[in-house]
Amino acid sequence: MLLEKGFVKNGFIIDLSNAKNTTQLVFELSSIMEHPDVKGKNVCLKLGGSDLKQSQLLSIKALIESMDSSIAFIDTTSEQTEASAVSLGIMVSKVSDQDIQDGIVGTLPDEVSEESVMVKSEEISLDSSGQSEASLSSSHIETTEGIEDIYNEISAEELSEIIPSEDSEKTYFTKFAANEGLLNDEHSKYILLDTGNVLPEGVEENSTNTESLPTLYLNQTLRSGQTVSYDGNILIIGDAHPGSEIIAGGDITVWGILGGIAHAGNAGNITSKVRALKLNAIQLRIAGLYARRNDTLNVPYVQKSNEFTPEVAQIEDGKIVIYKKLRRD
Amino acid sequence: MTGRVIVITSGKGGVGKTTTSANIGTALAKAGHKVVLIDTDLGLRNLDLLLGLENRIVYTIVDVIEERCKLKQALVKDKKNPNLSLLAAAQTRDKTAVNAEQLKEICDTLREENDFVLVDCPAGIEQGFQNAVAGANEAIVVTTPEMSAIRDADRIIGLLATKEEISSTKLLLNRVRPSLIKSNEMMSVDDVIGILEIPLIGIIPEDTGIITSTNKGEPIVNDENALAGKAYRNVAQRILGEEVPFLDLDEPKGFMAKIKNAFAKLKVKV
Ligand SMILES: Nc1ncnc2c1ncn2[C@@H]1O[C@H](COP(=O)(O)OP(=O)(O)O)[C@@H](O)[C@H]1O
Ligand SMILES: [Mg+2]
Repeated sequence: MLLEKGFVKNGFIIDLSNAKNTTQLVFELSSIMEHPDVKGKNVCLKLGGSDLKQSQLLSIKALIESMDSSIAFIDTTSEQTEASAVSLGIMVSKVSDQDIQDGIVGTLPDEVSEESVMVKSEEISLDSSGQSEASLSSSHIETTEGIEDIYNEISAEELSEIIPSEDSEKTYFTKFAANEGLLNDEHSKYILLDTGNVLPEGVEENSTNTESLPTLYLNQTLRSGQTVSYDGNILIIGDAHPGSEIIAGGDITVWGILGGIAHAGNAGNITSKVRALKLNAIQLRIAGLYARRNDTLNVPYVQKSNEFTPEVAQIEDGKIVIYKKLRRD
Repeated sequence: MTGRVIVITSGKGGVGKTTTSANIGTALAKAGHKVVLIDTDLGLRNLDLLLGLENRIVYTIVDVIEERCKLKQALVKDKKNPNLSLLAAAQTRDKTAVNAEQLKEICDTLREENDFVLVDCPAGIEQGFQNAVAGANEAIVVTTPEMSAIRDADRIIGLLATKEEISSTKLLLNRVRPSLIKSNEMMSVDDVIGILEIPLIGIIPEDTGIITSTNKGEPIVNDENALAGKAYRNVAQRILGEEVPFLDLDEPKGFMAKIKNAFAKLKVKV
């Protein structure tokens, strides 16, 4: 049942077996996948005992494919995960600690015996170079190809067809809660500052519909030291560099990499959102809540890519939460 | 308590004022003293980056001056050392947002509750410099062993001499490369002191580790093995009035040679 060592060509082992829960698992995976070295690789996922439903595993697969990589196989001790993998046509195998030390990168053995893989034989195709494709089942997600496709409107029905979502569409991509206890400090992407509510005196929290506000449209790069502030929504086509500041009465949308400070709903509007193709803000502020980027993510300059998964930050239950989304909300 | 307010200045930009402020501040705090670092480089702030604190800044010195927050609220505590805090500059404002009296008032308030207030000064001799020195009673002038930097340091030392409140001005020579001094391609420490004629508080070697430490947001004094870290720890001890023997900045040699060197009278002194 075991794949031979050295099986995966151009492979990469990602060990997620210490993840405490699915949220953390996906969060760690997505940070790892953002690393340029992981692009175009056959990824072996060590998932430990995490119980993943089919929909969750599919999301993970989509995430990996959105970075031009593919899952070679997964290593799991959970029966549920194994069943999900089999139903999705993802191979299941084992990696030993030794493999991890050696790195499993190598060339494919001349022959791969049929019994060495668990999935049905017709789902494994060997191409002429002898490279094995962990051929994946029908539900390929088209929307991860490039930026233009990301915002293609998908109806809720279509979406539920592509992604068998368990409770709501929001669970499709992961929700990274800033400080929910779900994730501990080390693993949250953003951590609320303990400043409490920082709204100036006389400013009341409100829930004005941001769609009713005017929008300032800017087609430019915001550089360090530059501030844009506007009572309504702000839309920036371009990057907002570290050291810049965007302050909006309503929503902030950055069609690019957001690296500076973003303050949405600065007059107390708690329904305001911050959206970016790449959410890397040094601080996220919504109404009176301030969150800082996790120190472990302190890479101020993000490399440009056409394969960012857009992210949205919003307030929920008095916390700033972040969704990774492939579609408009 | 009346703490000491020390301005770190240079005239010329890029000689290591901010690096020096971050490292001396960290070293003094590690030695158990309460330290506040003030970044007065409005619009070009860096000190927060060197300390890895940018993501924690909510209020800046301009917010304090424009009374949007209390001074205490604007002090950002260091991640590792609770003795150390930072009063950040505003990134999106220019130097006209602050004046000398306001800065002096802030320094005066801070020295009541801290052992040290270190003021990181912007380059130049205009408003930013005047602001930074306004509350100080000691100065450290940073220079590198280059003619242009020394010329600017000389100018600054002259200006500091006209400030009655500043009772002591010391020299910190940064980015020293003993191998270049040996081959006569770089001015020696004695040459520089000969020109500037003020007491030396430290010599910091050129160290590529400083670049990595800057990128990581972790001052090099925290690295026990780095030579520049050791040199900065020695500066902190000298600030505290201790007599610290001089570091041998020569390239590492054999063990015996090192021992011999330790007893020899060194030309290069830290
Ligand atoms: N001793 C040193 N060795 C190597 N690089 C140094 C050293 N001191 C400073 N630098 C580098 O020089 C540059 C300028 O330093 P900085 O402290 O920002 O100067 P200033 O505040 O005077 O403008 C930085 O890139 C810093 O990393
Ligand atoms: Mg500086």
